[in-house]
Amino acid sequence: MTNDELAKLFRPGSVHKRLYTDKDIFDLEMNRIYGQAWIYVGHESQVPRPGDYHATRIGDQDVLMVRGSDGQVNVLYNRCPHKGAKLVTEGDGCAGKFFRCPYHAWTFKLDGTHMSLPLRAGLEGTCYRADNPDFSMKRLARVDQYRGFVFASQSASGPDLREFLGGSASTIDNLCDRSPVGEVEVAGGVFRVMQQSNWKVFYENLHDTMHAPATHESSVVAAREQSKAIGEMPFELLIQEGNGEPWAFWEALELRAYPYGHGYMEGIFDPNAAEKDAVTKAHQASLIAAHGAERAREIMGMNRHNTIIYGSGSPHNVFQQFRVIRPIAVDRTLIEIQVFRCKEAPQAVFDRALVYANLINSPSSNVMPDDVELYRRCQEGNSSRGGDWVSQHRYLGTDKSMPDGGAVSINGTSELPMRNQMAAWRHYMLGDDVSPEQEAAWTGRTPLSTAGAQA
Amino acid sequence: MNLLDRTFDHSTVPVSGAKLDVQAIRGVEQFLFNEARLLDERRFDEWLGLWTPEGRYWVPRHHGQQSPFDQISMFWEDAVLRELRVRRIANPRNWSQQPVTRSSRLVGQVQIDGLDAEGRLIVSSSMQLTEYRLDQRQLAARVFHKLESGDDGRWRLHLKRVNLVNLDAIFSNLEVFL
Repeated sequence: MTNDELAKLFRPGSVHKRLYTDKDIFDLEMNRIYGQAWIYVGHESQVPRPGDYHATRIGDQDVLMVRGSDGQVNVLYNRCPHKGAKLVTEGDGCAGKFFRCPYHAWTFKLDGTHMSLPLRAGLEGTCYRADNPDFSMKRLARVDQYRGFVFASQSASGPDLREFLGGSASTIDNLCDRSPVGEVEVAGGVFRVMQQSNWKVFYENLHDTMHAPATHESSVVAAREQSKAIGEMPFELLIQEGNGEPWAFWEALELRAYPYGHGYMEGIFDPNAAEKDAVTKAHQASLIAAHGAERAREIMGMNRHNTIIYGSGSPHNVFQQFRVIRPIAVDRTLIEIQVFRCKEAPQAVFDRALVYANLINSPSSNVMPDDVELYRRCQEGNSSRGGDWVSQHRYLGTDKSMPDGGAVSINGTSELPMRNQMAAWRHYMLGDDVSPEQEAAWTGRTPLSTAGAQA
Repeated sequence: MNLLDRTFDHSTVPVSGAKLDVQAIRGVEQFLFNEARLLDERRFDEWLGLWTPEGRYWVPRHHGQQSPFDQISMFWEDAVLRELRVRRIANPRNWSQQPVTRSSRLVGQVQIDGLDAEGRLIVSSSMQLTEYRLDQRQLAARVFHKLESGDDGRWRLHLKRVNLVNLDAIFSNLEVFL
């Protein structure tokens, strides 16, 4: 598929359904988006000791994150250079002092470099040498981490991780800063949920405030009925009832878009809860003890709901989760849900993160199944001949451009986040083949600055 | 938060033996079969009525999981959350239950394991669960029931722990009780 053909899939405020259903486009995305962007691999706390590994995927590539003998975290393709066998199976484990391929017992250091193989004499006179890179496990082109969050890029060029994350890094900062010692760790296990839909559908849903009251009516009504029956609204019901706020509530929220498709959505729970809620109060007290009242208020006051790091997923600073989004096929998307413990924060803070994960992000959630059902229906509906275009028109032309190349909504129901994601998509997929004028017409806004922006 | 009440005894390891005569064992089996049938027939309100007020429904996320408090769980539900789930399933705008999930359970290998510290009966059984919604799904589990004998002589469910065989699988929705 040529870039000219890809460019025909866009109109101002709408995109062609083939973006979600075409297998060739999916394959191109795996090369041009997941082959270029920084992608979250995992948190360094998942590999605490040398030899510990976490096997996962970056786009269509099987990779593993492993703690080296020097303490550094390496990210390697999960492939033995001999016959191609995956060195480790999925999930977490410990390789010991080195990797040993189960097939022919070739061994590799924890940074992937070749160590040895049985009966070397048989390779005399060939190109085999321990320092020939063809006989080592391949490393990803670039690996870096931000406060323990490990990212890798399959491309040797492009922005560095800090520039790539831009404003979205402030959510990771806040997630970590909610620990009195500024550190978090993955704890309690990871949920894995499969969506029967294209990966972009979930990203677009994350800041889609207009879907909440409609899609989630069953869980909202159930939470309200249950609250009435027991005469109170405990945390476990509150977080399911929140989607039922009236339109005016959603309209007043702020949506912030950053370059590279990232952004955040303002929080939907009461930011002044510290006065009423015992857990928040205890949490705040631990931060006051560490940093003083002003800094503690600043940390606890950053009230965000979903943040998007495009290509990686959605961290949630307030309830310490990360929904990692892994595309599997054009119509299959795997979500890995991580829960974090804020080190040295009161136990109740982790308890609440656990409850939030169990109730909102697990396969048994009362909330998410209705999302997953609707994503599947979008996937199936977009495979029909019943029309070609997907609308992202809401508040088109009103988004206010910001100096960092991003934008902010004038209304919380704006489809700015979706348009911003599509701009990032075009940046990766079409590069310089899109003129700034064309891009401005599609997104409905002109950037104030091109520094760090995609167009 | 009641849900995180750590004094709740969620252990399914008996602290003493239980002596039941054949008729009593038949009664326990009938309770398990009836519980399975209520779920298969989606008679959720009757199912809710089987429980003690403090009862917990637990599907761990990990093999051999020791506690629902330190790790995530597929389900960890008290009465409030069980009732909430039934209300959502019953709501006419339950998009993910259109069509509904149909199920058939086969319960066997029922064993009386013993008593917990409070004298509640611990019963374990094997369950084969076939579910159908859009696609067919086969689940299997070892299930632990902790039963309390009520004043009316009937059993009440105090803990149901479902150890799924495939809990490391990647799941789509698990929205109905197992």
